[in-house]
Amino acid sequence: MFLLSILRVIKFSLQDFWRNIWLSVVTILILVLALLSVNLLLVVKVLGSTAIDAVKEKVDISLYLRSEAPENRIFTLKDRISGLDSVKEVNYISKQTAIENFRDKHKNNQDMMLALSELGNNPLSPSLVIKPKEVDNYDELIVSLNTIDDQIIESRNFDDHKAMLAKINNITDKASRAGLIISLFFVLITVLVVYNTVRVAIYTHKREIGIMKLVGASTWFIRAPYLISGIVYALLGVSAVIIILYPLLSLIQPYLANFFSGFEINILTYYNNSFIKIFGLEILAVILINFLASLVAVGKYSKV
Amino acid sequence: MNMIKLENITKIYPPDIKALYRVNLHIKPGEFVSLVGQSGTGKTTLVKILIGEERPSQGRIVVGGWDITDIGQAEVPVLRRQIGVVFQDFKLLHRKTLFENVCFALQVCGEPSSKINNIVPQVLKIVGLENKMRRYPLEVSGGEQQRTVIARALVHRPKILLADEPTGNLDSINADEIIEILQKINKFGTTVLLVTHNREVVNKLRKRVITIENGMIVGDQAVGKYIL
Ligand SMILES: Nc1ncnc2c1ncn2[C@@H]1O[C@H](COP(=O)(O)OP(=O)(O)OP(=O)(O)O)[C@@H](O)[C@H]1O
Ligand SMILES: [Mg+2]
Repeated sequence: MFLLSILRVIKFSLQDFWRNIWLSVVTILILVLALLSVNLLLVVKVLGSTAIDAVKEKVDISLYLRSEAPENRIFTLKDRISGLDSVKEVNYISKQTAIENFRDKHKNNQDMMLALSELGNNPLSPSLVIKPKEVDNYDELIVSLNTIDDQIIESRNFDDHKAMLAKINNITDKASRAGLIISLFFVLITVLVVYNTVRVAIYTHKREIGIMKLVGASTWFIRAPYLISGIVYALLGVSAVIIILYPLLSLIQPYLANFFSGFEINILTYYNNSFIKIFGLEILAVILINFLASLVAVGKYSKV
Repeated sequence: MNMIKLENITKIYPPDIKALYRVNLHIKPGEFVSLVGQSGTGKTTLVKILIGEERPSQGRIVVGGWDITDIGQAEVPVLRRQIGVVFQDFKLLHRKTLFENVCFALQVCGEPSSKINNIVPQVLKIVGLENKMRRYPLEVSGGEQQRTVIARALVHRPKILLADEPTGNLDSINADEIIEILQKINKFGTTVLLVTHNREVVNKLRKRVITIENGMIVGDQAVGKYIL
């Protein structure tokens, strides 16, 4: 008998879907719009955090060493710094590497190359490039670096980085706070829109619900069709979003790659990797909202 | 044994509308009782309390030996399968045929198709609609619509049939037909409670009449007349 009821409920909901095809289409359309805006927000968030990570990755501290410093002392110093807790890695840039990098960077600048060759010898200092483990522990790192005293250190000027980091952190904070508020706002609107759509759908069944109650249908039999149509809406809506979103993402991907040139960013890969997580969550969320909305609405419109 | 027993039933709607006040009423199995009274005197409220739609503020109510005074939400469907209800507005689904409308009541209660196919033609025959059951509600007369509603109220083979102004929207010929059907159902043994405004109907019935005024029972005659 339970199986019979389930089959009957499914039959009723599908019948209803077709009989009110316009309402169903509008419901799904609204769902698609809401989900698209949520996904758009997700894309923006992914891009933002990728960009910020990329910038953070570039933050490092250079310790400039005396030109005449012997390499064995430099390596000892490098090991010492590597041993610090807050250090991720230390790279040694020798005088020779430094000049090569310089030449490479300015190879199109005739004046610069001329000036360099006029100097005759290599004017650059060797340096140690230190990457902090966590960008947020930057201050700690500077304190530790200041305690290291070695005569081969020519200069340590960290102030520039500090200012830049403060700026980045500030932007990150503001961006994530703004992102959170915007996300909440969007989610709220989505919930309200979906809720209202479900309410309208159920309002059109006021009479039917009233009759069901009057003739002694059990509560679950009254609610189950809405749960099932909620699942149907969610599946159709999310499928439509996937069909719309992927071409859109492939379309903007080249522009993104261009804009963020130098950084590894691929929004398609991101979506592919988190496909189940993103769309599974979206389906679940829609079903949940549908369920709650129908819970409220059925109660409201079911008085005889 | 009483089929319906109301003891000291009071119903107060917020803030302080006394729809029913200290109502005592006993109805025996197989009785045909008419409930009359002016508009707003609590007749529909009484029906709603009988089907678990409203809870009494005070008093005790027993239906078919079952004390439903504090009936739980989950038990209401069980109660409704024992009481058939007919309201003035027909409450049919316009997109279903008369036959489907009657089937619907059994389908949503999870009854098997074999039982549905057995019962539905029977109840449609009782109300005399076996030839029109493939039509849609808007293709038949008001009287025929109301007869469909009565057929639907009978599918669970209820012990009690409550009819709240079933003739309210009908002309006198159609109304007479409805009353005849109710009498026929009563002859099968079903207890019938008819709420009505219709003086002629009550006088012609020559059955028990209960008169209600301002939420209180003011008259109860074995072979009654409409006295208002
Ligand atoms: N849900 C409600 N909330 C508040 N007051 C109500 C409610 N339902 C009914 N009433 C009030 O209770 C009183 C009795 O109403 P009821 O519907 O029982 O009257 P009735 O005898 O059926 O009238 P009628 O003959 O017009 O159908 C009326 O004063 C009505 O306004
Ligand atoms: Mg009434």
